[in-house]
Amino acid sequence: MKIIIIGASAAGISAARTIKEVEPNTQVTVISRDDCVHSRCMLHHFLGHERDEAGISFVDGHFFADNHITWLKNTAVVGLNTAAKAVTTDDGQELFFDKLLIATGASYFVPPIPGLREATNVYGFRDLKDARLLDAECETAKNAVVIGAGLVGMDAASALLKRGLKVTVIEMMDHTLGLQLDEKSARPYQQHFAAHGADFLLSEKVVAVDLDETGRGVTIQLASGKSIPADVIVIAAGVRPSFDFLDKTGIATEKAILVGDDLQTNVADIYAAGDVTGLSGIWPNAMKQGRIAAINMLGERLLYNDRFAIKNTVNFYGLTTLSLGNINPQPEENFDVIVREDHSSYRKIIMKDGHISGVIIQGDIGGTGFLQHLIKQQIDLSGLDKDVCDLEYSDFYAVDPENGEYHYAV
Amino acid sequence: MKRIIIDREQCDGCLNCNVACISAHQEGSNFYTVNLGSADSQSRNFIKFDPKTGYTPIFCRHCDEPECVLSCMSGAMQKDPVSGHVSYDEAKCAACYMCVMNCPFGVLTPDRQTRTKVIRCDFCEDQPDGPSCVRACPKQAIEVKEVSR
Repeated sequence: MKIIIIGASAAGISAARTIKEVEPNTQVTVISRDDCVHSRCMLHHFLGHERDEAGISFVDGHFFADNHITWLKNTAVVGLNTAAKAVTTDDGQELFFDKLLIATGASYFVPPIPGLREATNVYGFRDLKDARLLDAECETAKNAVVIGAGLVGMDAASALLKRGLKVTVIEMMDHTLGLQLDEKSARPYQQHFAAHGADFLLSEKVVAVDLDETGRGVTIQLASGKSIPADVIVIAAGVRPSFDFLDKTGIATEKAILVGDDLQTNVADIYAAGDVTGLSGIWPNAMKQGRIAAINMLGERLLYNDRFAIKNTVNFYGLTTLSLGNINPQPEENFDVIVREDHSSYRKIIMKDGHISGVIIQGDIGGTGFLQHLIKQQIDLSGLDKDVCDLEYSDFYAVDPENGEYHYAV
Repeated sequence: MKRIIIDREQCDGCLNCNVACISAHQEGSNFYTVNLGSADSQSRNFIKFDPKTGYTPIFCRHCDEPECVLSCMSGAMQKDPVSGHVSYDEAKCAACYMCVMNCPFGVLTPDRQTRTKVIRCDFCEDQPDGPSCVRACPKQAIEVKEVSR
Protein backbone atom coordinates (compact mmCIF):
# COMPACT_ATOMS: atom_id res chain seq x y z
CA MET A 1 0.00 0.00 0.00
CA LYS A 2 1.11 3.54 -0.79
CA ILE A 3 0.33 6.31 1.65
CA ILE A 4 1.10 9.97 1.06
CA ILE A 5 1.23 12.35 4.00
CA ILE A 6 1.21 16.09 3.34
CA GLY A 7 2.87 17.94 6.21
CA ALA A 8 5.76 17.11 8.50
CA SER A 9 4.67 18.55 11.82
CA ALA A 10 2.96 16.86 14.77
CA ALA A 11 0.10 15.12 12.93
CA GLY A 12 2.10 14.15 9.83
CA ILE A 13 5.11 12.77 11.67
CA SER A 14 2.96 11.00 14.24
CA ALA A 15 1.04 9.33 11.41
CA ALA A 16 4.20 8.34 9.53
CA ARG A 17 5.73 6.85 12.66
CA THR A 18 2.55 4.93 13.52
CA ILE A 19 2.21 3.48 10.01
CA LYS A 20 5.77 2.20 10.11
CA GLU A 21 5.26 0.74 13.59
CA VAL A 22 2.08 -1.10 12.65
CA GLU A 23 2.73 -2.06 8.99
CA PRO A 24 6.42 -1.57 8.21
CA ASN A 25 5.96 -2.65 4.61
CA THR A 26 3.70 0.27 3.76
CA GLN A 27 5.24 2.74 1.30
CA VAL A 28 5.13 6.12 2.97
CA THR A 29 5.93 9.46 1.34
CA VAL A 30 5.91 12.66 3.37
CA ILE A 31 5.67 15.91 1.43
CA SER A 32 6.44 19.14 3.25
CA ARG A 33 7.16 22.77 2.53
CA ASP A 34 9.51 22.67 5.51
CA ASP A 35 13.08 21.70 4.79
CA CYS A 36 13.70 20.79 8.39
CA VAL A 37 11.37 18.98 10.79
CA HIS A 38 10.78 21.25 13.73
CA SER A 39 8.50 21.83 16.64
CA ARG A 40 6.74 25.16 16.28
CA CYS A 41 6.35 25.25 20.06
CA MET A 42 10.13 25.68 20.24
CA LEU A 43 10.60 28.42 17.64
CA HIS A 44 11.27 30.94 20.40
CA HIS A 45 14.22 28.86 21.56
CA PHE A 46 15.62 29.06 18.04
CA LEU A 47 15.01 32.78 17.66
CA GLY A 48 16.39 33.37 21.15
CA HIS A 49 19.60 31.52 20.10
CA GLU A 50 19.16 28.93 22.84
CA ARG A 51 18.84 26.12 20.32
CA ASP A 52 19.91 25.58 16.73
CA GLU A 53 17.73 24.04 14.00
CA ALA A 54 18.58 20.49 15.03
CA GLY A 55 17.76 21.44 18.61
CA ILE A 56 14.15 22.23 17.79
CA SER A 57 13.52 19.04 15.85
CA PHE A 58 11.23 16.55 17.58
CA VAL A 59 12.56 13.56 15.65
CA ASP A 60 16.15 12.46 15.39
CA GLY A 61 18.17 13.35 12.32
CA HIS A 62 17.80 9.91 10.73
CA PHE A 63 14.06 9.56 11.24
CA PHE A 64 13.11 9.26 7.57
CA ALA A 65 16.02 7.02 6.59
CA ASP A 66 15.70 4.77 9.64
CA ASN A 67 11.99 4.27 9.00
CA HIS A 68 12.33 3.93 5.20
CA ILE A 69 10.08 6.91 4.58
CA THR A 70 10.48 9.02 1.44
CA TRP A 71 10.60 12.69 2.34
CA LEU A 72 10.02 15.36 -0.29
CA LYS A 73 11.08 18.51 1.50
CA ASN A 74 10.83 22.07 0.20
CA THR A 75 7.84 20.79 -1.74
CA ALA A 76 4.29 22.06 -1.76
CA VAL A 77 1.25 20.15 -2.94
CA VAL A 78 -0.61 22.32 -5.46
CA GLY A 79 -3.28 19.96 -6.73
CA LEU A 80 -5.26 16.88 -5.83
CA ASN A 81 -7.10 14.58 -8.23
CA THR A 82 -9.43 12.50 -6.11
CA ALA A 83 -10.59 10.28 -9.01
CA ALA A 84 -7.08 9.38 -10.13
CA LYS A 85 -5.86 9.36 -6.50
CA ALA A 86 -2.91 11.59 -7.23
CA VAL A 87 -1.39 14.77 -5.90
CA THR A 88 0.66 17.23 -7.92
CA THR A 89 3.53 19.17 -6.46
CA ASP A 90 4.92 22.63 -7.18
CA ASP A 91 7.90 21.04 -8.94
CA GLY A 92 5.58 19.27 -11.39
CA GLN A 93 5.55 15.76 -9.99
CA GLU A 94 2.41 13.66 -10.01
CA LEU A 95 2.36 11.17 -7.16
CA PHE A 96 -0.20 8.39 -6.75
CA PHE A 97 -1.56 7.09 -3.48
CA ASP A 98 -3.88 4.46 -2.06
CA LYS A 99 -4.53 6.61 1.00
CA LEU A 100 -3.80 10.26 1.60
CA LEU A 101 -3.39 12.17 4.85
CA ILE A 102 -3.68 15.94 4.72
CA ALA A 103 -1.79 17.38 7.68
CA THR A 104 -0.95 20.79 6.28
CA GLY A 105 -1.59 22.64 9.52
CA ALA A 106 -2.49 26.29 9.60
CA SER A 107 -1.03 29.61 8.50
CA TYR A 108 -0.90 32.84 10.38
CA PHE A 109 -3.46 35.49 9.70
CA VAL A 110 -2.62 39.13 8.98
CA PRO A 111 -5.59 41.35 9.86
CA PRO A 112 -6.68 43.84 7.20
CA ILE A 113 -5.18 46.88 8.90
CA PRO A 114 -3.90 49.61 6.57
CA GLY A 115 -0.18 49.17 6.02
CA LEU A 116 0.11 45.90 7.90
CA ARG A 117 -0.31 43.57 4.94
CA GLU A 118 1.86 45.75 2.72
CA ALA A 119 4.78 46.27 5.09
CA THR A 120 7.79 44.12 4.16
CA ASN A 121 9.05 43.78 7.72
CA VAL A 122 5.93 42.06 9.13
CA TYR A 123 6.43 38.43 10.08
CA GLY A 124 4.32 35.67 11.51
CA PHE A 125 5.82 33.27 14.03
CA ARG A 126 4.45 30.02 12.78
CA ASP A 127 7.29 28.00 11.32
CA LEU A 128 11.03 27.90 11.01
CA LYS A 129 10.98 30.02 7.85
CA ASP A 130 9.41 32.85 9.85
CA ALA A 131 11.90 32.41 12.67
CA ARG A 132 14.83 32.51 10.23
CA LEU A 133 13.56 35.75 8.70
CA LEU A 134 13.11 37.27 12.15
CA ASP A 135 16.54 36.04 13.14
CA ALA A 136 18.04 37.97 10.24
CA GLU A 137 16.10 41.13 11.19
CA CYS A 138 17.41 40.87 14.75
CA GLU A 139 20.92 41.53 13.45
CA THR A 140 20.03 45.18 12.82
CA ALA A 141 16.63 45.92 14.36
CA LYS A 142 16.36 47.75 17.67
CA ASN A 143 12.61 48.16 18.20
CA ALA A 144 10.33 45.16 17.87
CA VAL A 145 6.56 45.35 18.04
CA VAL A 146 4.53 42.22 18.70
CA ILE A 147 0.84 42.44 17.81
CA GLY A 148 -1.12 39.97 19.92
CA ALA A 149 -0.25 38.73 23.42
CA GLY A 150 -1.41 35.14 23.08
CA LEU A 151 1.05 32.28 23.55
CA VAL A 152 2.64 32.78 20.13
CA GLY A 153 3.07 36.51 20.65
CA MET A 154 4.53 35.98 24.10
CA ASP A 155 6.88 33.28 22.77
CA ALA A 156 8.10 35.70 20.12
CA ALA A 157 8.43 38.52 22.65
CA SER A 158 10.48 36.37 25.02
CA ALA A 159 12.91 35.49 22.22
CA LEU A 160 13.20 39.08 20.96
CA LEU A 161 13.94 40.22 24.52
CA LYS A 162 16.65 37.58 24.72
CA ARG A 163 18.15 39.03 21.56
CA GLY A 164 18.35 42.41 23.22
CA LEU A 165 15.63 44.21 21.29
CA LYS A 166 13.29 46.75 22.79
CA VAL A 167 9.97 44.91 22.67
CA THR A 168 6.48 46.41 22.76
CA VAL A 169 3.53 44.02 22.93
CA ILE A 170 0.14 45.32 21.80
CA GLU A 171 -2.99 43.47 22.86
CA MET A 172 -6.71 44.18 22.44
CA MET A 173 -7.68 42.41 25.69
CA ASP A 174 -6.96 43.91 29.09
CA HIS A 175 -4.41 41.20 29.90
CA THR A 176 -1.95 38.91 28.18
CA LEU A 177 -2.50 35.22 27.37
CA GLY A 178 -6.23 35.83 27.29
CA LEU A 179 -7.19 32.33 26.15
CA GLN A 180 -5.20 30.71 28.96
CA LEU A 181 -5.25 33.12 31.88
CA ASP A 182 -7.42 35.46 33.83
CA GLU A 183 -6.29 38.95 34.68
CA LYS A 184 -4.81 37.86 38.01
CA SER A 185 -2.71 34.98 36.67
CA ALA A 186 -1.56 37.07 33.70
CA ARG A 187 -0.16 39.82 35.90
CA PRO A 188 2.95 37.98 37.17
CA TYR A 189 3.91 37.12 33.57
CA GLN A 190 3.56 40.75 32.56
CA GLN A 191 5.78 41.66 35.50
CA HIS A 192 8.43 39.11 34.48
CA PHE A 193 8.39 40.32 30.89
CA ALA A 194 8.48 43.96 31.99
CA ALA A 195 11.44 43.22 34.25
CA HIS A 196 13.21 41.91 31.14
CA GLY A 197 12.44 45.09 29.25
CA ALA A 198 9.06 44.56 27.59
CA ASP A 199 6.38 47.22 27.36
CA PHE A 200 2.74 46.18 27.25
CA LEU A 201 0.02 48.22 25.63
CA LEU A 202 -3.17 46.46 26.72
CA SER A 203 -6.76 47.23 25.67
CA GLU A 204 -5.14 48.76 22.61
CA LYS A 205 -5.79 48.35 18.93
CA VAL A 206 -3.54 48.86 15.93
CA VAL A 207 -5.29 51.11 13.41
CA ALA A 208 -2.54 51.65 10.86
CA VAL A 209 1.09 50.98 10.07
CA ASP A 210 3.02 53.82 8.43
CA LEU A 211 5.49 52.71 5.78
CA ASP A 212 8.77 54.33 4.80
CA GLU A 213 9.84 54.84 1.18
CA THR A 214 11.24 51.28 1.00
CA GLY A 215 7.94 49.74 2.11
CA ARG A 216 8.94 48.87 5.64
CA GLY A 217 6.55 49.54 8.50
CA VAL A 218 8.19 52.13 10.75
CA THR A 219 5.41 53.47 12.95
CA ILE A 220 2.45 51.67 14.51
CA GLN A 221 -0.60 53.89 15.00
CA LEU A 222 -2.90 52.91 17.85
CA ALA A 223 -6.59 53.60 18.47
CA SER A 224 -5.68 55.62 21.57
CA GLY A 225 -3.68 58.01 19.41
CA LYS A 226 -0.31 56.72 20.56
CA SER A 227 2.31 55.80 17.99
CA ILE A 228 5.12 53.30 18.45
CA PRO A 229 8.36 53.09 16.43
CA ALA A 230 9.09 49.72 14.84
CA ASP A 231 12.04 48.19 13.03
CA VAL A 232 10.47 44.75 12.92
CA ILE A 233 6.84 43.70 13.44
CA VAL A 234 5.55 40.29 14.55
CA ILE A 235 1.91 39.51 13.91
CA ALA A 236 0.42 36.97 16.31
CA ALA A 237 -3.30 37.40 15.78
CA GLY A 238 -4.25 33.80 15.26
CA VAL A 239 -4.05 31.20 12.50
CA ARG A 240 -6.32 29.73 9.85
CA PRO A 241 -6.33 26.12 8.61
CA SER A 242 -4.28 25.84 5.45
CA PHE A 243 -5.74 23.93 2.48
CA ASP A 244 -5.58 26.15 -0.64
CA PHE A 245 -4.89 23.20 -2.93
CA LEU A 246 -8.31 21.63 -2.23
CA ASP A 247 -10.22 24.13 -4.39
CA LYS A 248 -12.67 22.30 -6.67
CA THR A 249 -11.60 18.85 -5.46
CA GLY A 250 -14.96 18.05 -3.86
CA ILE A 251 -13.41 17.67 -0.40
CA ALA A 252 -15.82 19.24 2.06
CA THR A 253 -14.44 22.20 3.93
CA GLU A 254 -15.72 25.11 5.91
CA LYS A 255 -13.14 27.08 7.85
CA ALA A 256 -11.29 23.78 8.18
CA ILE A 257 -11.33 20.40 6.44
CA LEU A 258 -14.38 18.50 7.66
CA VAL A 259 -13.70 15.00 8.96
CA GLY A 260 -15.73 12.25 10.56
CA ASP A 261 -14.85 10.64 13.87
CA ASP A 262 -12.53 8.30 11.96
CA LEU A 263 -10.75 11.44 10.61
CA GLN A 264 -11.70 10.58 7.04
CA THR A 265 -12.91 13.40 4.82
CA ASN A 266 -16.08 13.09 2.75
CA VAL A 267 -13.92 11.46 0.06
CA ALA A 268 -13.02 7.84 0.78
CA ASP A 269 -9.35 7.12 1.50
CA ILE A 270 -8.54 10.77 2.09
CA TYR A 271 -7.96 11.68 5.71
CA ALA A 272 -7.02 14.85 7.55
CA ALA A 273 -5.40 15.41 10.94
CA GLY A 274 -3.99 18.22 13.03
CA ASP A 275 -4.66 21.95 12.87
CA VAL A 276 -6.08 21.70 9.35
CA THR A 277 -9.17 19.92 10.74
CA GLY A 278 -9.95 22.76 13.13
CA LEU A 279 -10.62 20.17 15.85
CA SER A 280 -7.87 21.49 18.04
CA GLY A 281 -4.87 23.77 17.82
CA ILE A 282 -2.74 21.95 20.31
CA TRP A 283 0.18 19.57 19.91
CA PRO A 284 -1.01 16.54 21.92
CA ASN A 285 -4.29 16.40 20.01
CA ALA A 286 -2.57 16.73 16.64
CA MET A 287 -0.26 13.84 17.58
CA LYS A 288 -3.22 11.73 18.61
CA GLN A 289 -5.15 12.57 15.44
CA GLY A 290 -2.14 11.62 13.32
CA ARG A 291 -1.91 8.32 15.12
CA ILE A 292 -5.61 7.52 14.81
CA ALA A 293 -5.76 8.54 11.12
CA ALA A 294 -2.74 6.29 10.47
CA ILE A 295 -4.34 3.29 12.11
CA ASN A 296 -7.57 3.90 10.18
CA MET A 297 -5.71 4.24 6.88
CA LEU A 298 -4.29 0.79 7.60
CA GLY A 299 -7.82 -0.60 7.73
CA GLU A 300 -8.78 -0.46 11.40
CA ARG A 301 -11.57 1.75 12.66
CA LEU A 302 -10.55 3.86 15.62
CA LEU A 303 -12.61 6.87 16.54
CA TYR A 304 -11.21 10.20 17.59
CA ASN A 305 -13.12 11.20 20.69
CA ASP A 306 -10.59 13.37 22.53
CA ARG A 307 -12.51 16.54 21.72
CA PHE A 308 -11.40 18.53 24.72
CA ALA A 309 -8.99 21.01 23.21
CA ILE A 310 -9.06 24.10 25.39
CA LYS A 311 -6.00 23.33 27.41
CA ASN A 312 -2.47 24.56 27.69
CA THR A 313 0.52 25.05 29.89
CA VAL A 314 2.57 28.21 30.15
CA ASN A 315 6.18 28.40 31.29
CA PHE A 316 7.98 31.74 31.05
CA TYR A 317 10.86 32.67 33.31
CA GLY A 318 10.23 29.54 35.39
CA LEU A 319 6.66 30.50 36.30
CA THR A 320 4.40 27.61 35.34
CA THR A 321 0.66 27.63 34.78
CA LEU A 322 -1.86 24.99 33.77
CA SER A 323 -5.03 26.19 32.07
CA LEU A 324 -8.04 24.04 31.20
CA GLY A 325 -11.46 24.79 29.80
CA ASN A 326 -13.58 27.84 30.47
CA ILE A 327 -11.38 30.02 32.66
CA ASN A 328 -13.12 33.37 32.34
CA PRO A 329 -16.80 32.55 32.96
CA GLN A 330 -19.37 35.28 32.48
CA PRO A 331 -21.51 36.19 35.51
CA GLU A 332 -24.69 35.11 33.74
CA GLU A 333 -23.29 31.61 33.37
CA ASN A 334 -23.75 31.16 37.12
CA PHE A 335 -20.63 29.16 37.84
CA ASP A 336 -19.11 28.59 41.25
CA VAL A 337 -15.59 29.96 41.29
CA ILE A 338 -13.31 28.50 43.93
CA VAL A 339 -10.03 30.30 44.50
CA ARG A 340 -7.14 29.37 46.72
CA GLU A 341 -3.95 31.39 46.73
CA ASP A 342 -0.83 32.18 48.69
CA HIS A 343 2.29 34.19 47.88
CA SER A 344 3.56 31.75 45.27
CA SER A 345 0.57 29.87 43.97
CA TYR A 346 -2.90 30.50 42.63
CA ARG A 347 -5.63 27.97 42.04
CA LYS A 348 -8.96 28.81 40.47
CA ILE A 349 -11.53 26.13 39.78
CA ILE A 350 -14.74 26.90 37.92
CA MET A 351 -17.61 24.51 38.66
CA LYS A 352 -21.29 23.98 38.25
CA ASP A 353 -23.42 21.23 39.80
CA GLY A 354 -20.41 19.24 40.97
CA HIS A 355 -18.66 19.29 37.58
CA ILE A 356 -15.45 21.17 36.79
CA SER A 357 -15.50 23.24 33.63
CA GLY A 358 -12.36 25.32 33.99
CA VAL A 359 -9.07 25.36 35.89
CA ILE A 360 -6.13 27.70 36.34
CA ILE A 361 -3.25 26.46 38.44
CA GLN A 362 -0.25 28.74 38.73
CA GLY A 363 2.92 27.91 40.61
CA ASP A 364 3.26 24.24 41.46
CA ILE A 365 1.49 22.33 38.68
CA GLY A 366 2.97 18.95 39.62
CA GLY A 367 0.54 16.05 39.52
CA THR A 368 -2.33 18.11 38.10
CA GLY A 369 -2.80 16.12 34.89
CA PHE A 370 -5.80 14.29 36.31
CA LEU A 371 -7.85 17.52 36.28
CA GLN A 372 -8.14 17.39 32.51
CA HIS A 373 -9.60 13.93 32.83
CA LEU A 374 -12.18 15.15 35.37
CA ILE A 375 -13.34 17.82 32.91
CA LYS A 376 -13.17 15.63 29.80
CA GLN A 377 -15.16 12.81 31.35
CA GLN A 378 -17.45 15.26 33.18
CA ILE A 379 -16.90 13.33 36.41
CA ASP A 380 -19.42 14.25 39.10
CA LEU A 381 -17.60 15.44 42.22
CA SER A 382 -20.64 16.43 44.26
CA GLY A 383 -20.53 13.29 46.41
CA LEU A 384 -16.88 13.71 47.38
CA ASP A 385 -16.20 14.80 50.91
CA LYS A 386 -13.13 16.82 49.99
CA ASP A 387 -12.25 20.36 48.98
CA VAL A 388 -11.95 20.40 45.20
CA CYS A 389 -8.56 22.15 45.50
CA ASP A 390 -7.23 19.17 47.45
CA LEU A 391 -8.32 16.49 44.98
CA GLU A 392 -5.68 14.21 43.52
CA TYR A 393 -5.75 11.26 41.17
CA SER A 394 -5.53 8.98 44.23
CA ASP A 395 -9.12 9.95 45.05
CA PHE A 396 -10.15 8.09 41.89
CA TYR A 397 -7.56 5.33 42.05
CA ALA A 398 -8.30 2.03 40.33
CA VAL A 399 -5.96 -0.60 38.90
CA ASP A 400 -6.45 -3.14 36.15
CA PRO A 401 -5.60 -6.44 37.88
CA GLU A 402 -4.36 -7.98 34.62
CA ASN A 403 -1.81 -5.44 33.41
CA GLY A 404 -1.45 -2.99 36.29
CA GLU A 405 -2.60 0.04 34.30
CA TYR A 406 -4.44 2.75 36.19
CA HIS A 407 -7.94 3.90 35.45
CA TYR A 408 -10.69 5.87 37.16
CA ALA A 409 -13.03 4.52 39.81
CA VAL A 410 -16.18 6.55 39.30
CA MET B 1 6.71 -5.43 28.97
CA LYS B 2 7.85 -5.08 32.54
CA ARG B 3 5.74 -2.91 34.84
CA ILE B 4 6.10 -1.99 38.50
CA ILE B 5 3.16 -3.56 40.31
CA ILE B 6 2.26 -2.51 43.84
CA ASP B 7 0.09 -4.46 46.24
CA ARG B 8 -1.77 -1.61 47.87
CA GLU B 9 -3.01 -3.85 50.71
CA GLN B 10 0.58 -4.56 51.73
CA CYS B 11 1.67 -0.89 51.74
CA ASP B 12 2.00 0.61 55.19
CA GLY B 13 3.12 4.04 54.01
CA CYS B 14 6.73 3.88 55.27
CA LEU B 15 7.96 5.89 52.24
CA ASN B 16 11.11 3.82 51.84
CA CYS B 17 10.27 3.73 48.12
CA ASN B 18 10.30 7.55 48.07
CA VAL B 19 13.68 7.76 49.77
CA ALA B 20 15.14 5.06 47.53
CA CYS B 21 13.86 6.87 44.44
CA ILE B 22 15.32 10.20 45.50
CA SER B 23 18.63 8.56 46.38
CA ALA B 24 18.79 6.69 43.08
CA HIS B 25 18.56 10.03 41.26
CA GLN B 26 20.94 11.95 43.51
CA GLU B 27 24.47 11.41 42.27
CA GLY B 28 26.65 9.43 44.67
CA SER B 29 24.12 9.16 47.48
CA ASN B 30 22.82 6.10 49.27
CA PHE B 31 20.03 5.45 51.74
CA TYR B 32 22.12 6.88 54.60
CA THR B 33 23.66 9.87 52.89
CA VAL B 34 20.74 11.03 50.73
CA ASN B 35 19.93 14.68 51.37
CA LEU B 36 16.15 14.85 51.59
CA GLY B 37 16.28 18.54 52.38
CA SER B 38 17.92 19.64 49.15
CA ALA B 39 15.71 21.32 46.57
CA ASP B 40 16.38 18.63 43.98
CA SER B 41 15.05 15.88 46.25
CA GLN B 42 11.97 14.89 44.34
CA SER B 43 10.60 11.39 44.33
CA ARG B 44 9.28 9.93 41.10
CA ASN B 45 6.77 7.81 43.00
CA PHE B 46 4.14 8.91 45.49
CA ILE B 47 2.29 7.39 48.41
CA LYS B 48 -0.92 9.31 49.09
CA PHE B 49 -2.63 9.00 52.44
CA ASP B 50 -6.31 9.44 53.10
CA PRO B 51 -7.82 8.64 56.52
CA LYS B 52 -10.63 6.70 54.88
CA THR B 53 -8.90 4.79 52.12
CA GLY B 54 -5.44 4.47 53.62
CA TYR B 55 -2.28 4.48 51.49
CA THR B 56 -2.44 4.79 47.72
CA PRO B 57 0.75 4.16 45.78
CA ILE B 58 1.03 6.20 42.57
CA PHE B 59 3.86 4.98 40.34
CA CYS B 60 4.39 5.73 36.65
CA ARG B 61 2.70 3.01 34.56
CA HIS B 62 4.77 3.54 31.41
CA CYS B 63 1.31 3.30 29.84
CA ASP B 64 0.52 1.22 26.77
CA GLU B 65 -0.77 4.41 25.08
CA PRO B 66 1.25 7.04 26.92
CA GLU B 67 -0.39 10.46 26.87
CA CYS B 68 2.90 12.03 27.92
CA VAL B 69 4.63 10.83 24.75
CA LEU B 70 1.78 12.10 22.56
CA SER B 71 2.00 15.49 24.24
CA CYS B 72 5.77 15.84 23.96
CA MET B 73 6.56 18.51 21.38
CA SER B 74 10.33 18.25 21.74
CA GLY B 75 10.73 14.52 21.14
CA ALA B 76 12.26 14.13 24.60
CA MET B 77 9.80 11.40 25.56
CA GLN B 78 9.62 8.25 23.50
CA LYS B 79 7.98 4.91 24.02
CA ASP B 80 10.71 2.32 23.55
CA PRO B 81 9.31 -0.30 21.17
CA VAL B 82 11.43 -3.05 22.74
CA SER B 83 11.20 -2.43 26.49
CA GLY B 84 7.84 -0.67 26.37
CA HIS B 85 9.16 1.94 28.77
CA VAL B 86 8.91 5.66 28.22
CA SER B 87 12.36 7.16 27.91
CA TYR B 88 13.09 10.80 28.67
CA ASP B 89 15.94 12.88 27.30
CA GLU B 90 16.43 15.80 29.64
CA ALA B 91 18.63 17.68 27.16
CA LYS B 92 15.90 17.64 24.50
CA CYS B 93 13.11 18.63 26.88
CA ALA B 94 11.94 22.23 26.48
CA ALA B 95 9.98 22.23 29.75
CA CYS B 96 6.65 23.11 28.14
CA TYR B 97 4.93 20.76 30.61
CA MET B 98 2.21 19.59 28.28
CA CYS B 99 3.10 16.11 29.56
CA VAL B 100 2.26 17.22 33.10
CA MET B 101 -1.06 18.52 31.78
CA ASN B 102 -1.79 15.33 29.87
CA CYS B 103 -0.83 12.56 32.34
CA PRO B 104 -4.28 11.33 33.43
CA PHE B 105 -2.85 9.96 36.66
CA GLY B 106 -1.02 13.03 37.83
CA VAL B 107 2.32 11.23 37.98
CA LEU B 108 4.43 13.80 36.14
CA THR B 109 5.71 16.93 37.79
CA PRO B 110 8.05 19.79 36.87
CA ASP B 111 11.37 19.92 38.66
CA ARG B 112 10.97 22.13 41.67
CA GLN B 113 14.29 23.93 41.49
CA THR B 114 14.70 25.14 37.91
CA ARG B 115 11.44 24.40 36.04
CA THR B 116 13.55 23.18 33.14
CA LYS B 117 12.80 19.46 33.21
CA VAL B 118 10.26 16.84 34.21
CA ILE B 119 10.58 14.47 37.13
CA ARG B 120 9.57 11.06 35.87
CA CYS B 121 10.27 7.38 36.45
CA ASP B 122 13.14 6.01 34.35
CA PHE B 123 12.70 2.46 35.63
CA CYS B 124 16.21 2.91 37.12
CA GLU B 125 17.49 1.79 33.69
CA ASP B 126 21.07 2.49 34.75
CA GLN B 127 20.89 0.25 37.82
CA PRO B 128 21.84 -3.40 37.35
CA ASP B 129 19.35 -4.63 39.96
CA GLY B 130 16.37 -2.79 38.53
CA PRO B 131 14.08 -0.21 40.10
CA SER B 132 15.32 1.00 43.47
CA CYS B 133 11.77 1.34 44.87
CA VAL B 134 11.26 -2.39 44.47
CA ARG B 135 14.41 -3.24 46.38
CA ALA B 136 13.65 -0.72 49.13
CA CYS B 137 10.19 -1.97 50.06
CA PRO B 138 10.38 -3.78 53.43
CA LYS B 139 6.95 -5.31 52.84
CA GLN B 140 7.80 -6.69 49.41
CA ALA B 141 4.68 -4.88 48.23
CA ILE B 142 6.41 -3.62 45.07
CA GLU B 143 7.57 -5.93 42.32
CA VAL B 144 8.46 -5.86 38.65
CA LYS B 145 6.11 -8.05 36.63
CA GLU B 146 5.92 -8.99 33.00
CA VAL B 147 2.56 -7.80 31.67
CA SER B 148 1.04 -8.23 28.24
CA ARG B 149 0.65 -5.23 25.95
